[in-house]
Amino acid sequence: MNALIKKRLLVVWLVLASITLVYLWVGSVDPASAVRPSAVVTSSAIVMALIKVRIIFREFMETRHAPVLLRRLTDGWVVLMAVCLLGSYFFGMAIR
Amino acid sequence: MTDLAGAGPRPHRVDGKPDAKDGNKPAEFVPGQPDMWAFVLFEALVFTSYFVVYMIFRTRSPELYLQSQAHLSLRIGVFETLVLLVSSWSMARCVQAARQGAYRSALTNALLTMFLGVVFLVAKVFEWTRLIRMGFGFSSNEFFSHYFFLTGIHFLHLLIGFVAVGVIVYQLRSPARRSQELVETGATYWHTVDFLWIVIFALLYVVR
Repeated sequence: MNALIKKRLLVVWLVLASITLVYLWVGSVDPASAVRPSAVVTSSAIVMALIKVRIIFREFMETRHAPVLLRRLTDGWVVLMAVCLLGSYFFGMAIR
Repeated sequence: MTDLAGAGPRPHRVDGKPDAKDGNKPAEFVPGQPDMWAFVLFEALVFTSYFVVYMIFRTRSPELYLQSQAHLSLRIGVFETLVLLVSSWSMARCVQAARQGAYRSALTNALLTMFLGVVFLVAKVFEWTRLIRMGFGFSSNEFFSHYFFLTGIHFLHLLIGFVAVGVIVYQLRSPARRSQELVETGATYWHTVDFLWIVIFALLYVVR
């Protein structure tokens, strides 16, 4: 396998793994205090997940070399997810 | 075989990118069969609806969801995510190796992907068993209904992923059967199982 491709895939994996480890900090809960809803934690968790999804689309699933239609469809789904997940969370919290 | 995907190894430049048609930018191609991409996008939309339903129900009774979520192990969830990310990495390496004709390396990476899939399944069964022993099942409350449904349907997709990787292994073992298009198609499915888990993990284990 080409050394440059190997290196690129390794760097991509390291970025994905690093973002995953950030969840240990973002999602940690202080056992001494009551857990409350948090817009910051929720938004961070969703945005980090969608960044990882887009990296997987572009690097592992190779959409960066794909025709523009496939690139737009995959990017469009990531945007749709962001709107749906953040929208349903904030709308739901506002009307409860 | 489609013209878009191509059956044989793709021509590559020294830097690993596909050859340029016009000499300025890399050639565009659909990785694997376009039908698989249609399926992936369909599945993504189906899961989007599951996720939205979960988020709406969650905002109706956040206290219940937070109390129930506290019984999940964030560390196990992070471990499972890392395992699937390594499996996606090895699958991407498998595709690149097969494209360059390094079939032995491709086969090794495909088998590593399967092994990591098994590790994820074992971790998931361990996690389910732990929760059930603590007294939480599908019908315990709304959160656990969503938890077992989402992780269960993802588990099912991962099992189907073994069939996809199994086809890749079968293809790679014999020169007569090798098809780069099928390797990429199976890889596309496997990566889908990975990115769906990434969202499920964030929503079930971290979101507050």
